Amino acid sequence: MTNDANDANGRGGRAPAAELGDARILLPERIEQGSLVHVRALLSHPMHTGLFRTAKGEPIPSHFVKRVTVTYGGEEVAAFDWTSGVSRDPYVAFPLRATREAPLAITWSDNRGGVYTQSVDVTFG
Amino acid sequence: MREHPDLSRRSFVARVASGALAVAGLAAGAAEALARPAGIAPGADDDEPPEQVKRVLEARFGKRPLRKGHVQLDIPSDAPDGRTVPLFIESDLPMTPDEYVKGVHILVDHNPDIHLAEYRLTPALGAASIDTRIKMRRTSYVRAIVETSRGELWYAASKVFVTLNGCG
Repeated sequence: MTNDANDANGRGGRAPAAELGDARILLPERIEQGSLVHVRALLSHPMHTGLFRTAKGEPIPSHFVKRVTVTYGGEEVAAFDWTSGVSRDPYVAFPLRATREAPLAITWSDNRGGVYTQSVDVTFG
Repeated sequence: MREHPDLSRRSFVARVASGALAVAGLAAGAAEALARPAGIAPGADDDEPPEQVKRVLEARFGKRPLRKGHVQLDIPSDAPDGRTVPLFIESDLPMTPDEYVKGVHILVDHNPDIHLAEYRLTPALGAASIDTRIKMRRTSYVRAIVETSRGELWYAASKVFVTLNGCG
């Protein structure tokens, strides 16, 4: 996830470290019931604005995550509307009140019909 | 507005968290040591939105008043790489079923898309904060606007000096 893996302006050419759609959700190792946990989520995605061209001068069409939904135990707890102004390999972190043991799922949907989902279990102990 | 005795700790934790996931955070942090253009104070008080931003605000929020406060926006004042600028937004407003922060908006005055993102939140989160990374075309104000379930609007704004265009 290095910053110099740059295809945003066509000058790089190095392949990204992860494949499109690779998604990770990170939770603290130990979670106490009722505590506020810090959820971090990362998706591999180019987040092309559509404003750049390749080194050969060909336009790079826009390709970016438009919507992110977060569910906890099947209930939607947050939803994000993004533009291509969110950085490549979008990272987002937010709090969550860990009220019960249940799956936390995040779905990222992009402007070309790509849908990427990741889920982790919130467990106490 | 309440004081935030633990804010510096939170900012630190947030930055460390970002850094653990991307080298970008470290680069931006290191850049804060670099000198900024002489005679221009970072985060100057004159954050009156330009016309194009006023239009975006009005289209989204109508004529509702936008008041400063209850929003903490942590963002570097110098961003050498506009492709990835880390930012952290936090509000001290309540997150109860009766009254909560229902939306966090990021606006960048001089980006192609001025309204960059909206984060819709619910009381189930237990607190209102968002940590993310954005692109910036050039030196500009970044605005964090928080909308409560009662329709109140609070904001914070910060000027960010950008060296490398991250938008095209």
